[in-house]
Amino acid sequence: MNKFRLTRWLISLPPTLFLLIFFVVPSLIMIVTSFRYPGEYGGLAPLTAPETPEAAATQGDSGLYGLTLEAYRFFFSDILYAEIFLKSFVVAAASTLICLIMAYPVAMLIAQSAKKYRNLMILLVVLPFASNFLIRIYAWMIILGPESAFSHLINSILQLFGFEPVMLLFSPFAVLVGTVYVHLPFMILPLYTNLEKHDPVLLDAAQDLGANRWQRFWLVTWPQSLPGVYSGAALVFIPVLGMFAIPDILGGTGDILIGNLIKDQFLGTRDWPFGSTLSIMLMLAVLGVTGLFTLLARPRTPK
Amino acid sequence: MKHNRFLISFLCLLFIILAGCTSENQTSNNSSEKNGDVLRLFNWNNYISQQTIERFEQTCQCRVTQDYYSDNEELLAKLAAGASGYDLLVPTGDAMDTLIRQGALSTLDKSQITHLKNIDPNYLNTEFDPGNHYSVPYAYTTTLIGFNREKLAELGLPAASWAIIFEPEYLQKIKGRITVLDSQRELMAAALKYLGYSANDTDEAHWQQAKELIIRAKPYWAAFSNTSYIRELAVGNLWVAHGYSNDMYQAALDAKKTGRQFTVEFVIPAEGAVLSLDSMVLHHSGHRPDLAHRFINFMLEGANSAELTNLTGSGNPNLAARPYIHPEIVANPAIFPDAALLHRLEMLHDINHTQRRLLSRIWTEIKLR
Repeated sequence: MNKFRLTRWLISLPPTLFLLIFFVVPSLIMIVTSFRYPGEYGGLAPLTAPETPEAAATQGDSGLYGLTLEAYRFFFSDILYAEIFLKSFVVAAASTLICLIMAYPVAMLIAQSAKKYRNLMILLVVLPFASNFLIRIYAWMIILGPESAFSHLINSILQLFGFEPVMLLFSPFAVLVGTVYVHLPFMILPLYTNLEKHDPVLLDAAQDLGANRWQRFWLVTWPQSLPGVYSGAALVFIPVLGMFAIPDILGGTGDILIGNLIKDQFLGTRDWPFGSTLSIMLMLAVLGVTGLFTLLARPRTPK
Repeated sequence: MKHNRFLISFLCLLFIILAGCTSENQTSNNSSEKNGDVLRLFNWNNYISQQTIERFEQTCQCRVTQDYYSDNEELLAKLAAGASGYDLLVPTGDAMDTLIRQGALSTLDKSQITHLKNIDPNYLNTEFDPGNHYSVPYAYTTTLIGFNREKLAELGLPAASWAIIFEPEYLQKIKGRITVLDSQRELMAAALKYLGYSANDTDEAHWQQAKELIIRAKPYWAAFSNTSYIRELAVGNLWVAHGYSNDMYQAALDAKKTGRQFTVEFVIPAEGAVLSLDSMVLHHSGHRPDLAHRFINFMLEGANSAELTNLTGSGNPNLAARPYIHPEIVANPAIFPDAALLHRLEMLHDINHTQRRLLSRIWTEIKLR
């Protein structure tokens, strides 16, 4: 009994240490950072006043030391930041929904194919990961560009129906295309893992009891697949929420997400405390969403 | 010379994460190379010609190694994270100002820099380093307007004013065919200049005015772009872009080489613009100030300095270099502005943290509205 417990401890020690070092410690650093003053040259202002004027000059003396709630006050002083959070949530939710709608048929198709083809199909789904993320996003720039064949096709169809031609690149549409394209495999894989385990006998039974195709899907397959849906949704929603490269490359003049804002704080603005505050707010939001998904994805026992 | 911001951000974030490991690597590199005759340069991407490097290596019987940065913020972030052992850096004015105030630079021994007289006095004694105790000008870019000449002529639009970027009456003809820089300071500077203020104005009321101007013009812009405009301008997708002179030079060259039906040109707006002067400075962590001085003096020779301009289209503050530069580059007033035009160019100053926070909020508002 005792020996068994020791083994369990030893096995769980490395992952616990990993989380402690790479999650808890950085989070604590971030929390402390959010309560400090930004340094004059970026970084952080010293906690205590420098002793000599020379030290003050090299450290970037702003005359402000110690801890402060200033960054939080600044965050709540303007509705602007709440708007960006809301917008990022809407983009993340839309991407998740589109991914779900596109991934479900693919996952079903793979799950229902003959066993010998399944591995090949899964390989094809993850194959895009073999090329660099940025290169794939840049490729979309060319595909969606105003002089591309794809743009010409879309615009000639639009003109046929009497609509004005549209600019595909540098638009919210392009951002959605990018996020959906990049995250689609993250939705397909958990869905497939789930769908593959379904017992086909249940569908036969439903058919015997008089259920048509739709009823069989909605009453038998869909409820069983919900855990897969939830984990896929979490794998898409959370990364999209913090995404900054896709809106930077494909987005237009209005496509700023919370990730872009945080990135700006650490580079262009050199305001680490405010960047940390934004990150903490984002983390709280993500934790909230994850909590919700975990709650929903819990396997339901019939009792 | 400002490049690809998000790539940098990736690298920088990675760098900040790996700061600890990186500084260790750095030190181990140093110790292995300390004893050889090696000059270590920390330079912009593509900011020196390979021939120049080879020639210097022959004259000094030493080796030159280079590390690169693509943005002043990246340079400062890497140095702040502990990167060291660099003999020479090439920062832009405001970043150099920060480095000087941090005490990160060593003073120059001017007796070893005999060719300093080659530099146009207009580019000496800048507000960042009066008396040039720390810095020797290397090259510069201006932030200006690049445009498709045939298209603008066809539409009858003027290019030599910031109005083309901010006035809806012009913008409606080029809607979706124009980008501006994704840089808080540069775009604000353009708006402030158009409103008749200094690019370094920090009056909040003026910033708000500039913000209104930008928000009014924004619906007509295709995107905020720091690098993609070069290609898009050269293939004809864009008709107007706000960007850096060396990038515009590249776009013009690309359009010409691929035999397009149009020409890309660029012009400094009449209201004035931002000048970014990059200077060679000695970092205090360098091990070979002697080689660094020799390199500075070598780069001040006309023929060597000219190679950079012929390669990248950057502005050249070196008067002795003029005879070696392609005549069509010298003749371009956007690269070599005359005294009157030069007078209307401003170098950006660093702003303090309260101003940075405020500007960031204005910027967020601009992006969101």
